Amino acid sequence: MSDRALRCDVAVIGGGHAGVEAAAASARLGCDTILLTPDLSRVGQMSCNPAIGGVAKGIVAREIDALGGVMGRATDATRIHFRMLNRSKGPAVWGPRAQCDRALYPIAVRRILDELSDLHLVQETATALVMGDGRVVGVRGRSGLTVQAAAVVVTAGTFLRGRIHMGGEAGVEAGRAGEAASVELAHTLAECLEVSRFKTGTPPRVDGRTVDFTRLERQDGEPGDYRFSTYVCESIPEQRPCWITWAGAELKKVVRRNLERSALYGGEISGRGPRYCPSIEDKVVRFPNAPRHQVFLEPEGLGTSELYVNGLSTSLPGDVQVEFIRAVPGLEDARITRMGYAIEYDYFPPHQLRHTLEARRVAGLFLAGQVNGTTGYEEAAGQGIVAGINAALTVQGREALVIRRDQAYLGVLIDDLVTRGVDEPYRLFTSRAEFRLLLRQDNAVRRLGPVARSLNLLTSSQNRILAARLQREDDVIEWFHNTTVSAQRAGPVLESAGYTLPSNSMRAVDLARRPGVDLAELARVGGAPFDVETNAEALAAVEIEIRYQGYVRRERERAERLQAQEGFELPSGLPYESFKSLSTEARQKLARIRPSTLGQAGRIPGISPSDLQNLVLEVRRHARGRSEPRAEVAMPPAVQA
Amino acid sequence: MVSGVEVDTIAALSTAPGVSAIAVVRISGPRAAAVLARVAPGLEPVPPREACVAAIIDPVTNETIEQAVVTQYPAPASYTGEDVVEISGHGGWLGPALVLDACLAGGARLAEAGEFTRRAYLNGRMDLLQAEAVVDLIEGRSQALRRMALRQLDRGLSERVAALRASLLGLEALLVHHIDFPEEDDAPIPVTHIAERADELSNSLAALLETAAEGELLREGALVVLAGRPNSGKSSLYNALLGQERAIVTEVPGTTRDALEAAVSLGGFPFRLVDTAGLRETDDRVERMGVNVARRYLAAADVVLLCVEGTRTLGTDERDFVRDTGVPVVVVRTKADLDVTAVHSGRLEIARDRALATGGTGGPEDACATLSVSALAGDGLGELRALLPRLVYRGLLGTGADSPVLTRARQARAVGRALSEVRSFAAALRKGAGPEIAAAHLRVTESALEELVGVITGEEVLDRVFAEFCIGK
Repeated sequence: MSDRALRCDVAVIGGGHAGVEAAAASARLGCDTILLTPDLSRVGQMSCNPAIGGVAKGIVAREIDALGGVMGRATDATRIHFRMLNRSKGPAVWGPRAQCDRALYPIAVRRILDELSDLHLVQETATALVMGDGRVVGVRGRSGLTVQAAAVVVTAGTFLRGRIHMGGEAGVEAGRAGEAASVELAHTLAECLEVSRFKTGTPPRVDGRTVDFTRLERQDGEPGDYRFSTYVCESIPEQRPCWITWAGAELKKVVRRNLERSALYGGEISGRGPRYCPSIEDKVVRFPNAPRHQVFLEPEGLGTSELYVNGLSTSLPGDVQVEFIRAVPGLEDARITRMGYAIEYDYFPPHQLRHTLEARRVAGLFLAGQVNGTTGYEEAAGQGIVAGINAALTVQGREALVIRRDQAYLGVLIDDLVTRGVDEPYRLFTSRAEFRLLLRQDNAVRRLGPVARSLNLLTSSQNRILAARLQREDDVIEWFHNTTVSAQRAGPVLESAGYTLPSNSMRAVDLARRPGVDLAELARVGGAPFDVETNAEALAAVEIEIRYQGYVRRERERAERLQAQEGFELPSGLPYESFKSLSTEARQKLARIRPSTLGQAGRIPGISPSDLQNLVLEVRRHARGRSEPRAEVAMPPAVQA
Repeated sequence: MVSGVEVDTIAALSTAPGVSAIAVVRISGPRAAAVLARVAPGLEPVPPREACVAAIIDPVTNETIEQAVVTQYPAPASYTGEDVVEISGHGGWLGPALVLDACLAGGARLAEAGEFTRRAYLNGRMDLLQAEAVVDLIEGRSQALRRMALRQLDRGLSERVAALRASLLGLEALLVHHIDFPEEDDAPIPVTHIAERADELSNSLAALLETAAEGELLREGALVVLAGRPNSGKSSLYNALLGQERAIVTEVPGTTRDALEAAVSLGGFPFRLVDTAGLRETDDRVERMGVNVARRYLAAADVVLLCVEGTRTLGTDERDFVRDTGVPVVVVRTKADLDVTAVHSGRLEIARDRALATGGTGGPEDACATLSVSALAGDGLGELRALLPRLVYRGLLGTGADSPVLTRARQARAVGRALSEVRSFAAALRKGAGPEIAAAHLRVTESALEELVGVITGEEVLDRVFAEFCIGK
């Protein structure tokens, strides 16, 4: 490599949500970091809907923040509408979601990145990886620039051989509307990784000045200043409403009539799309009897009248989009400002990765985000921060970060990807987490803050904030356990929850266990020394711990059992094909996925507990066979008995 | 290949040893064909599953030991899912042993009990419920159990469990929709609706669980205990029902000391018939021990035949006995041959008012039948034989031939656990626990049902299941 090359520890290719978090995390760990992206003005661009969070995703956004990430702060600084989804259900499944100003979000991201002195942003299209000694040693750019790096994180999103479809034409090569696809890089990656295709889509946008709002249902955000970020208090902008309308029979008729002109149904697109985020064509075909589909009109920003038409993602040609938009109540006279489109792109089936998100076959190469077959900003950013942290830790020769499934949705996400693989764009749900009650938005900082602190991801002021926050929660928990509330004081709180007056004074924790009792009120009447308003999240955490003690205990016990299995490590070079006491299916799957622990092996679909049992015996025997001369081998009991 | 563990090749005699016309030695494993080549070196290549005559030799002495029919079943389309060879030779004691010995000398290992079926299960050829049905087929002593086992081998129960798992999945899907898609097109699903769906699942589980009691009897045989005063004719009745002289019959009261037990099939259903010492206070130490044994049997009985001579009326002790016994009691008026009128009335009178004394519901579970029987002449025996299955296997007789039945405590435990968790789920939802909390119960339900069919199985469960097998299956 030439001496004129730029040198760094970690190079990040791509400036989307994954790339931003990867680069920032690496720089915060003290690595010289270079981020390469074709257009620096679009760092942190929201390519699809201008919203962060939602059910499960909102918890991920908070986990990223707890690790010192960018997303939470950028969201707080640019959100113009906020709602806590699932507020009527238990706090474990609350999903904070914010609409953001699409123009302001990248500006906020850039501002936050600029705080990092070790991060160097370069506008350059990466065209090839530089390999040496079986590992990646750098990146080559279109302008002739070469970046020498000890680790490279690829976060190319939908840009790798991206192809945009609008209607039944062959499609146009592009990474995003108006931006070039990345073809050369895709080819060099395909030389060392297995590649497949996915597709996703985005809906049209309309000019708000041409919308008849009188025909729409207005949805205001929640008041208050909910923040995703624990460590930095950004100022929250002025808020805007969203609007709700419906795609009814008339629109469905237009879509049905033009179905063959859709790229999706005209056979132009081969990649699979996300079932959970269906295009309007999918909805019409798959739910022919549904009378109507909900459509959200979301504000694109404070400085624009444009509205994002959430729910009408499409690959139909522009003229059909114009026609179907007019079939939506309130949009009869609406002008489309940008067309919706579908995009097909390369991804790398993620079973090729370790839990650190490093490619198993190429040392030093990390992948994060949509290139791993996921969908969603939060999923991308979550992988980005883990990949960036691990790239930096590798360069520094430190122990890798692997987040457990019982520790964070980030752990669930990455373990699902590398263990189960994907057959459609992967999105997180709370139901993917077997420890749902433990993984909440309110306790993200308790779960991951200490991890961030010990890795040295936080600034000293952030460390102080973390310590104070955890201390406050401990105080609340302690108060409930150690305080007795007199019957007279507790009376009104109990009565308003429909209980009769107790005859004696009771411990606050026992009162709190009763469903319906307002913990904040209880703390107030009980004379708690902490401020109830500023400790709302601590209270919510205490509430679920107290009220659902039995269930939470069950989950913790399961988590501990799981950890015992996670402790049984499977060496990387095991000859699974020769483990004949396993079923054929198990042998093939283990050889393909190469799990790193027994626990992970158990989560591979098709691996039975009997297979696991025999696997343990095979591994032990394999280890012995290496150190001792091979003796006559006995059959494992599973087959013998 | 790096050091690894080969699955070895097993062999066993798969037919009953001893006097049979044909004896089958079965070989299974990756080296089955190699073993065959050593014991039948003259065999020309034959298409799979085609029978072919071959001379079997002892590979050590090269001596021809048998002329046999050989059939090969290459993996995976075989009983075990591995390469299987079956050698059908002549029956008897020596020939089959020589053939098996030759196979062992040719590189096979003697199979453990149930090992063939265990391999079939591990290779996905059958689920655990089907494997258990194989045991029932081999050991089933009654037509009813064999029918049940055949149906199960054809996945009858497996499919019922699959349907239960499908409705559990449906329930979980509702929850997922409820929690993870709060802004979808349809209005949110009301929690009461989810709870109702859970109730439907509970009802199906409960119905299946109800079959367990009779299902287990189907395997074990229902315990019919003959009771009555000494010399009331129990042993005569016992012999008559068995159709053979098992018990010693004299006119000396207290002849039967120990309890005698024998299996008998009545109306196609299995029973265990127990003759006991007559119940009386006695100073004879041996007879007293017999009386105690009788009491223990009575406590475990599924139905009691209380023998009372037709020549006298029921005493207070006998009336008390009828009242206090928790299972159906048939009062058999014995020695009908001594009483002409009773012979004449050799018909069945099911007195729904046993209950007279018990204040019971008068339903079939309180049934107390009275019938007159002459063990000597055989009068009334037919009625008794017909009555017993109706008293014990009421549910099975009622639910038609095709409904699946749980036949094992293991199965009943798993279904019971699933049922109680689904009930807790519905209760938690109705009490206002969040759906995310209630969902914890569904996870346990899921694992209980998976355990039932053997999707997930602890090694101990497997060992218990396959311990029931005989060698060669």
